[in-house]
Amino acid sequence: MKIAVFMKQVPAYSEGNMDEKTGVIIRAGLPSIANVYDVVALETALRIKEITNAEITVFTMGPDKAEDVIREAYSMGADKGYLICDKAFAGSDVLATSYTLSQAVSSVDNFDIILCGKQTTDGDTAQVSGAVAEWLGIPHMNWVCEIINVTENEINVKCQLDGRLSVIQTAYPCILSVEKSIFTPRMPSLKLKMSSRKKEISKITLDDLNDKNENNYGLKGSATKVRKIFPPERTAKRDIVIKNGKDGADYILEIFKNTFNSKEENI
Amino acid sequence: MVYVSQKNELIFPISEKYEEYLIDESKFMGNAESISFPKNEDEIISILKIMKEKNIPITIQGGKTGIVGSAVPLEGHIMNLSYMNNVKEYEILEDGTGTITVESGINLIDLKKEILRIFKEKALFWPPEPTETSATVGGIIATDAKGINAFVYENIQKYIKELRVVRASGIIEVVSKEDFNKVIGKEGITGVISQITLKLIKKPSEIWGISFFFENEEDASNFIDAVRNDVPKSETAFIGAFEYIDKTSLNLIEGRKPTMAKIKELPDIDENFECMCYIEIHGEDEGIEEIAGNLMETAAMYNSDPDTAWAVSGETEIEKTRAFRHAAPETANLFIEEKRREDKRITKLGTDMSIPNISFLDMIKKYRDGLSKYGLNGCIFGHGLENHLHVNILPNSYDEYLKGIELIREWAKYYLENNGQIVCEHGIGKLKKKIFEGMLSEEFINNYKILKKEFDVDMIWNRGNIL
Ligand SMILES: Cc1cc2nc3c(=O)[nH]c(=O)nc-3n(C[C@H](O)[C@H](O)[C@H](O)COP(=O)(O)OP(=O)(O)OC[C@H]3O[C@@H](n4cnc5c(N)ncnc54)[C@H](O)[C@@H]3O)c2cc1C
Ligand SMILES: Cc1cc2nc3c(=O)[nH]c(=O)nc-3n(C[C@H](O)[C@H](O)[C@H](O)COP(=O)(O)OP(=O)(O)OC[C@H]3O[C@@H](n4cnc5c(N)ncnc54)[C@H](O)[C@@H]3O)c2cc1C
Repeated sequence: MKIAVFMKQVPAYSEGNMDEKTGVIIRAGLPSIANVYDVVALETALRIKEITNAEITVFTMGPDKAEDVIREAYSMGADKGYLICDKAFAGSDVLATSYTLSQAVSSVDNFDIILCGKQTTDGDTAQVSGAVAEWLGIPHMNWVCEIINVTENEINVKCQLDGRLSVIQTAYPCILSVEKSIFTPRMPSLKLKMSSRKKEISKITLDDLNDKNENNYGLKGSATKVRKIFPPERTAKRDIVIKNGKDGADYILEIFKNTFNSKEENI
Repeated sequence: MVYVSQKNELIFPISEKYEEYLIDESKFMGNAESISFPKNEDEIISILKIMKEKNIPITIQGGKTGIVGSAVPLEGHIMNLSYMNNVKEYEILEDGTGTITVESGINLIDLKKEILRIFKEKALFWPPEPTETSATVGGIIATDAKGINAFVYENIQKYIKELRVVRASGIIEVVSKEDFNKVIGKEGITGVISQITLKLIKKPSEIWGISFFFENEEDASNFIDAVRNDVPKSETAFIGAFEYIDKTSLNLIEGRKPTMAKIKELPDIDENFECMCYIEIHGEDEGIEEIAGNLMETAAMYNSDPDTAWAVSGETEIEKTRAFRHAAPETANLFIEEKRREDKRITKLGTDMSIPNISFLDMIKKYRDGLSKYGLNGCIFGHGLENHLHVNILPNSYDEYLKGIELIREWAKYYLENNGQIVCEHGIGKLKKKIFEGMLSEEFINNYKILKKEFDVDMIWNRGNIL
């Protein structure tokens, strides 16, 4: 069984600094990490591997530095890693990112399961996994919060949809985006981390893809353009209320009552 | 007598809303009549003048994270410096390092943010870090706080370029380098540190944080002793921290983990593990790997399975494992806070002693024997390579609390007789003064008395600390 995991490198946090002219977030000096949702996707793959003995291949699209994400994945237990990196891919939006990712996986192997995070913490669109499913023409299960059963031939999962849970079973190939709550990711192990430094990372460039038309990738292949990124306005300061014992409890109860009453009215 | 200035509103009478300023992380609670939050040196001097005229003692407060009650007032006035938290100036030096001049009330969280904002990819830092990030620079200097990287980065003096202190006379003194030691670690008894120029150094290019787990304390102790006897080195890297955390601490942490934002996403620790060692290696990747490999082999010799050892790198991940280590004192303090709610006389009872000449194994056995002899529960964590552990007694009643004091005195006696140190990084304040009554040497006390005479004959600053 073969599992692909999509992992993206994102800034560890944002100071809300933005280049006034370009509208692009200033990342200089900020550390980068693997998108936390994608570490959970990798953990899901590792759990499936424990049951099915699958081989796990990680794909990340980004600059050379994004290699760190693959090394981290190796130190958690991933078997192979591909860095998708080419000048032609720069400036990709969801359309171009998902197209590049689907071209990349297809160029490597026939994967049974593709695992994605629910969303990234920078782009934050939560659309890439659905778009990849569309490009590859395979079933897509979004917001998976539990693996009920997994075998060599099929997988049965629970999805957290708006206000309801849905149980879905599918044969392979398929693509899953997982909720953060599905598993607590393991810590990288020292032994694997030591060996990960020497482990090979393969690079995928435009030349390696089936479709080599650069107009379909990067800025040229993007249907949208971000005009401005800005931190949301701060909400107004609130008063601090200090009350003791019963007074405090009564006060909180009053807030609850008001909140629930107004909700009921809305319904 | 309460003196409250009406006109300029610098001084406020103590009321319910200021109650949190009567206690620090030692959970020792005091009393005061008034409080102020000066915003600059002029205001410090105005407040001092008013208090001096009425002979009202002033207790200086930073972040109130101290654990010996040294920022807790017994009476009089509280001068809280948390509003003095600005960066005044900074300089980028030719060698790629820099200096930053700050008001003393800036805490470590804000200091780090400011350093990142100003020096950006130069990647600089101020090494003295007592793990608790709400501690202020003034408080850190006043307590000579150290933290987990202390044995590498050594003396705090190395990282201070200039110190300004408001003396009891109302004069602002730029303290000469030779006299830094009359301020550093003196728990505010010689004046208010108002402004400091900090020397920043380059961050190591990489840090690895490795956690080894052990199924029994003896194995872990033997591992620590093996490393102490032959500390692994490489040309481009070094061990930057070596911390021990025992089972009781692990249980306390695991119990509270779901509510602790910084660590709640870490996986649960296997119940079979009795203790862990958290080790940081700082330097270049290759050197780090060399030391990590060496440690892995030694740990395996003492039955720590390298497959179960965690290894993280990168600032964000290291912050998580540091937060896990920090949760050891945090959860011990939370335990005490719960007990204090039941009985106001209960405070933190933690040791801060080190002893160079015995093995780690013998030291921990001594602590275990003491705890079982007195029938007490305690958690143990701290600095492995320096034989400097913090044993926190976890009393269930005031009776056990009193027994705990007796036990700590017994340990202290042994340490003093065997060339150990009974106060290392937390200070003496009001709590350790009580616990170690009659045990601190005359010479030690006299040194403080001489300083008091030189800088504050009227005992205006921090009355009740040490002396
Ligand atoms: C600072 C900044 C500037 C931007 N500027 C532009 C712009 O000028 N024009 C424009 O069109 N778009 C721009 N974008 C959007 C950017 O291209 C998107 O971040 C990208 O398309 C991926 O979408 P997402 O991050 O929202 O992924 P999501 O849909 O939120 O991610 C879902 C999952 O897909 C997978 N995934 C997503 N991206 C990758 C990847 N790179 N490698 C591997 N797996 C991945 C992961 O498993 C992830 O959990 C900008 C984004 C940022 C943060
Ligand atoms: C969970 C936890 C873990 C900790 N771990 C460590 C550790 O590993 N190592 C360690 O060394 N410490 C540790 N500490 C102790 C604590 O963080 C330090 O003592 C800290 O340096 C105190 O700083 P503060 O600003 O909170 O000072 P406060 O507690 O407010 O004051 C401490 C003393 O400094 C004086 N003071 C404060 N500001 C000034 C000033 N501007 N001028 C003159 N005097 C001043 C006060 O009067 C008082 O005597 C820990 C504390 C906690 C709660």
